[in-house]
Amino acid sequence: MCQFGDVPQICVQVSLSNGRTVEAQAMASLKEILTRRPVAATIRLTVPAGGARPAPPVGPALGQYRLNLMAFCKDFNARTQKYKPETPMAVTITAFKDNTFEFTVKSPSVTWYLKKAAGVESGSGRAGHVVAGTVTLKHVYEIAKVKQSDPYCQYMSLEAISKSIIGTANTMGIKVVKELD
Amino acid sequence: MLSEALLCFGASSTSTDEQDNFEKDDEVCISSIFSDCEDLDECISHAAKSIGLEDMPSYKVKKGNQSDWIKKTQESFYPVEITEGLWVVPEWRTPPDLKATNIILNPGLAFGTGEHPTTKLCLMLLHGSIKVGDFFLDYGTGSGILAIAAIKFGAALSVGLDVDPQAITSARQNASLNNLGAEKLQLHLVPSKKSCPTTDEAIYEGVEGQNSSGTGVISEMEKYDVVIANILLNPLLDFADHIVSYAKPGAIVGVSGIISEQIPYIVERYSQYLEGISVSKMDDWACISGNKKINVIAS
Repeated sequence: MCQFGDVPQICVQVSLSNGRTVEAQAMASLKEILTRRPVAATIRLTVPAGGARPAPPVGPALGQYRLNLMAFCKDFNARTQKYKPETPMAVTITAFKDNTFEFTVKSPSVTWYLKKAAGVESGSGRAGHVVAGTVTLKHVYEIAKVKQSDPYCQYMSLEAISKSIIGTANTMGIKVVKELD
Repeated sequence: MLSEALLCFGASSTSTDEQDNFEKDDEVCISSIFSDCEDLDECISHAAKSIGLEDMPSYKVKKGNQSDWIKKTQESFYPVEITEGLWVVPEWRTPPDLKATNIILNPGLAFGTGEHPTTKLCLMLLHGSIKVGDFFLDYGTGSGILAIAAIKFGAALSVGLDVDPQAITSARQNASLNNLGAEKLQLHLVPSKKSCPTTDEAIYEGVEGQNSSGTGVISEMEKYDVVIANILLNPLLDFADHIVSYAKPGAIVGVSGIISEQIPYIVERYSQYLEGISVSKMDDWACISGNKKINVIAS
């Protein structure tokens, strides 16, 4: 264990799938546990990127816990500027008992992007037998680029993310082709 | 898991309260908000089935009023001291210091309550930039807070532009709360143009918006001594030349509503129009200001 200030750091060696080793620090989570504020509630909702307003759906959901609507809207809108406007973002807000809050934003699910790219409403009922739609490799690449900025994808290579997207497409009955004719 | 399923099937939001009494920990309560037209029974049964729950979870329906959550959020507004001698006070509270410059606000459903770091940064920029008799343009006025502040600091005329009709209504109300009539504070609702202004003749000629006081006033180019736009990164980039075109050569232009990581993009975009660019930061937010170059070549 390495000491850094008064919060002990734990240094771990992480081997990545491409053979490189990286030092990750688990200090953040330890510190969180030591100074965790009491949580009042966890709120989940969908808000269009750049489109948060102090009105429904944001208003009632956050208002009932007396959270600062303006602060959330401004923060959320500023942080979602990099996404295409009006893309439905999944937000999870942790409201603390002292009326402060934190939130994380996730881009829409891979299935949402695939459906949009293929131009279909839903995946196939019988994946593997019936094809619901088609997307190109370029679509997969573009989706992978967006997903890379998601909190849990940041250390994955574009190749790894693309493979995972192709896998999802297969389970949905969406065919991936090199180019559209 | 149930929360996510509910969201898929029509809930506008779900919230799970933390349990601190451990006697009830085999029962988790999830409250969801649905908009009026949803068929609750169907939504909940679809959601439950989709994650494999056999029995329908028991639920209680409570009809809520719009005013409930609005009232709750209003209760959390208190007077805020921006800098010494400058306060922003909600309409329903008394100013702590009657001798200071007090901006009275009823934010309603518009942006700009005075608490946000960007509002504070812009108010401080305004405080340091406005000279008596100046003309001020608030691009993206929201509640009108900056436009009102400018008059209080000595500006002769403030003009507020916004694409949201709700903002214009709130700003008009706030102006009257501070006893500012239409001759000092004009508000225009501008149509939101998603396309780049260079392809749109109408915008370059001068925006002719609906003026709430009834007189047909056109916002002129190169008329304002101070222009501030506290909005968001994308409109700041897309409409940069439009925003700057309102300012007189040498005038102060300030932009905000951006987070630290977005600063380089703004500086790069605006450095062709502004000189003496300075960045002020508060928490993770930034306000960038400069003086409009005397000879600007519009792109």
